[in-house]
Amino acid sequence: MIFAVLLITGIAGAGMYVMKLRADNATLKANQIKLETAVAEQTKVLEQQKKDFTAIMESNKKLNALINTFKKDLDDLDKRFTKKKRDIGKLALERTSSVERVINSGSKNAARCIELASGAEHTEEELKATLKSEINPECPALANPNYVHHE
Amino acid sequence: MKMSHYGTYWVSFFKGVILVLLILALTGCSIGGEKKIKIFSVEKPREKLNYEMPTPLQMEEIKWIIITSENADEVFKRLEDAGIDPVLFGITDKDYQVLARNFAQIRQKLQETNNLLEEYKKYYEDSGNTQ
Repeated sequence: MIFAVLLITGIAGAGMYVMKLRADNATLKANQIKLETAVAEQTKVLEQQKKDFTAIMESNKKLNALINTFKKDLDDLDKRFTKKKRDIGKLALERTSSVERVINSGSKNAARCIELASGAEHTEEELKATLKSEINPECPALANPNYVHHE
Repeated sequence: MKMSHYGTYWVSFFKGVILVLLILALTGCSIGGEKKIKIFSVEKPREKLNYEMPTPLQMEEIKWIIITSENADEVFKRLEDAGIDPVLFGITDKDYQVLARNFAQIRQKLQETNNLLEEYKKYYEDSGNTQ
């Protein structure tokens, strides 16, 4: 009788053990799938990081180029006032009306530069301008993107 | 020794109890087990901040008048004839240069800020960096 009980218990135990092994196997399979998914996700994240890094570099380059044009614009502005020991006050005394005309035209151009800097659309004329006589001398880099400045 | 009918019944009952207890001891009460909780994580992208870009400025035109000791009378007369108060707010030629420079710097700052805003928008909205 005891032998029979032990035999039945043994068989039941073995059955349970097999079931446990199956469950473990299923868990391991699920873990494997999760790991593979994690690896794929990591690869995706790395790719995105690479893309982001390129985008940041590109953006930095663009902004640096813009800041360089600012410096040049300010230098050009100073040059216009002081080129060849120019004295704008003296000039205004000698040629009042022509200097007045130049200053008014410069003021109009500068106002247009502000409009463009605040996001206004370029006009056809501004886009087409390639000659020095056609550009807005207050901010050529901003107003006339197709104009190439030659020193 | 011959067992009674009830005796045999109780022995069988105890055998059954021992068998169940043995099975439970071997399986560690794992039959049936506890239900597993399933957790789902759904990625929801952040809402976009869809502000429109600021409206571009529309500047009004101003007129500069150059006044010297020689043309002052003529300028004031012209103003009076045009029905404008004969008064001018003046700056020297040096201050005019400073004003032009200040104006240029304000314009550059505006352009820089607008460009930064565009770059941010492009970075976070074009490349899918929504977080």
